[in-house]
Amino acid sequence: MSKTIFRHFFDFFNGQEKWLNSMAERGYRLKKCGKMTYTFDECKPAEYEYAVEYVGDKSYSKARDYRGYLESMGFRTFTKNINLNLSLGKARWRPYAKGMGQIATSPGGFNKELLILEKKRDGNPFELHTDVRDKLNTYKTVRRANVWAVLLLLALIAMIFVPGVSSASVLVTWVLRIVVAILALMFIIPTVKYSSLVGQLNSESKTFE
Amino acid sequence: MGFIRDNIKGGALTETTFLVLLAVYKPNHGYGIMQFIEKETNGRVVLGAGTLYGAINTLVKKKWIAPLNDEADSKKKEYIITDVGKQKAEDELNRLSDVWKLATKIIEGSKTE
Repeated sequence: MSKTIFRHFFDFFNGQEKWLNSMAERGYRLKKCGKMTYTFDECKPAEYEYAVEYVGDKSYSKARDYRGYLESMGFRTFTKNINLNLSLGKARWRPYAKGMGQIATSPGGFNKELLILEKKRDGNPFELHTDVRDKLNTYKTVRRANVWAVLLLLALIAMIFVPGVSSASVLVTWVLRIVVAILALMFIIPTVKYSSLVGQLNSESKTFE
Repeated sequence: MGFIRDNIKGGALTETTFLVLLAVYKPNHGYGIMQFIEKETNGRVVLGAGTLYGAINTLVKKKWIAPLNDEADSKKKEYIITDVGKQKAEDELNRLSDVWKLATKIIEGSKTE
């Protein structure tokens, strides 16, 4: 029996991972994911474990190489989008990425900002990043994606508060402002969370590797 | 990759770096490196796959290790330590042995006082 669930995660990293693991614990194994959907097959409870890895800062070829490597390590992989994109035709600018990763094309790296990895539960924790510095880099990269979303939304808010900027009625303008403000808040929450993680790891890294 | 701390003169290698170097004295691929490290440290160090990927790529870039065959994908790609890598590993062994001597002197000394 398959089961499809609609979900969107503002906390696309840890939040999504936690949810996938709670599904697996209840006996649902990920079969495929769409832009906002997840399809599960039934399986034995707690048979599989999931980890989410962020690759939106990498160029398509690097992300593909990494995915191939992870598969050679024995994980099943899925790609997933994060929906923080500015588009121009079929190319997107990802301001939060590095180098060639800033331009994502479809087909290509666009909408494949995340890798979802599956392994059979074997008693060991499913951790992709094990040293402090590597964890720190990972959370910084994730935070950067969130910070950019917040900045873009704040820019949008600033724009729609310019008097007389819109020909829409007062009511519609206010609804729009509130919607954008709520959206910004949805990205601010994970931004704050990852900032605090980065802070903790930074102080850890002074004593431990 | 940006700033790489283990490039600093006289600095310590990270444990991840050192263990990966030791794991490729004989040709080894990603999964083999991970198993080698887990086995030889009796499970004390279990590298995450992402951390290992970063370490391998950094070391290849620095030419401390090299891929054996130039296959395009990293599936089953094997790596071997280079002469530079061996030199770095030996330097680290010497550094660790100095640290070990110092620590033994102080810690053991404090117990016999």
